[in-house]
Amino acid sequence: MMNNITMYHYLFIGLFMFLTGFFGSVFAKNIIKVLISIEFMLLGININFVTFGTYCDGLDFEGYIMSLFYIGIGAVEFAVALYLFYLMFQKKDSDNIQKYTDL
Amino acid sequence: MLENPIFFYIASAIIIFFTIISLINKNIINSLLAAVMVFFCGALFFYLLGSEYNAIIQAAVYGVAVPVIIGLSIMFSGNVSCKNSTETENKREFKLSYFTLLSGGIFVLALVYVIMISVSILPDTFCIKEIAQTTSYDVISAFAKGIFIDYVWAFELLSLLLTIVIAGFTLFNRRRDS
Repeated sequence: MMNNITMYHYLFIGLFMFLTGFFGSVFAKNIIKVLISIEFMLLGININFVTFGTYCDGLDFEGYIMSLFYIGIGAVEFAVALYLFYLMFQKKDSDNIQKYTDL
Repeated sequence: MLENPIFFYIASAIIIFFTIISLINKNIINSLLAAVMVFFCGALFFYLLGSEYNAIIQAAVYGVAVPVIIGLSIMFSGNVSCKNSTETENKREFKLSYFTLLSGGIFVLALVYVIMISVSILPDTFCIKEIAQTTSYDVISAFAKGIFIDYVWAFELLSLLLTIVIAGFTLFNRRRDS
């Protein structure tokens, strides 16, 4: 009965990751948790890219390539965000995001 | 590609469980370890979808490199915020738990929908092409064509961006040391 894994299954996993990442980035108080939530959002988007690359792209696999670029850009963004956090932490002495009102 | 659907369901259960654990858990170390599991499950999804190359990159970058950087950040921050828990923060924690459960509920509804599609109760309205029967050679040649021909400028720009980040960190740290 449930032997066929369709495109929808993967898309909804991507949707779940994006939603949890979104709510986590909005409501988490710890800045590291906010960054992890943003990475969850990126993972959801990547799952969607690869899913569309598998099911809709034929032999071009452009979704795979976009996902690869996203992983690279995500790593860069993460490194820059953590460096900003490092600089801000030295001033604020806290990882609570409510205290990070100015850059 | 692993055809057996049991792998998909196991990976889905693991990724949902650890995502919720990662966001709800108050201890940031446990949260990080749960996030590592989520990233590895993401790599498993890529593998299940037939993109082995993306799976390897995902596991190497997000499964290993990024958690190491986060671990270092946790080390130098020393978990200071745990000492100052106020009522407002507790409310935010409650909201986070609430919305995580809400998104989990949306996911369950969506999963019910796809299961109904799987057993053909609902018509499959979104018309998708047949999955192309591919080999690893096709995927690698498509990657080569995409990276070195179609998207060569984007690829070079990304390389430049990575180089700028590394050079920027080095310069900033030198300036701070001096």
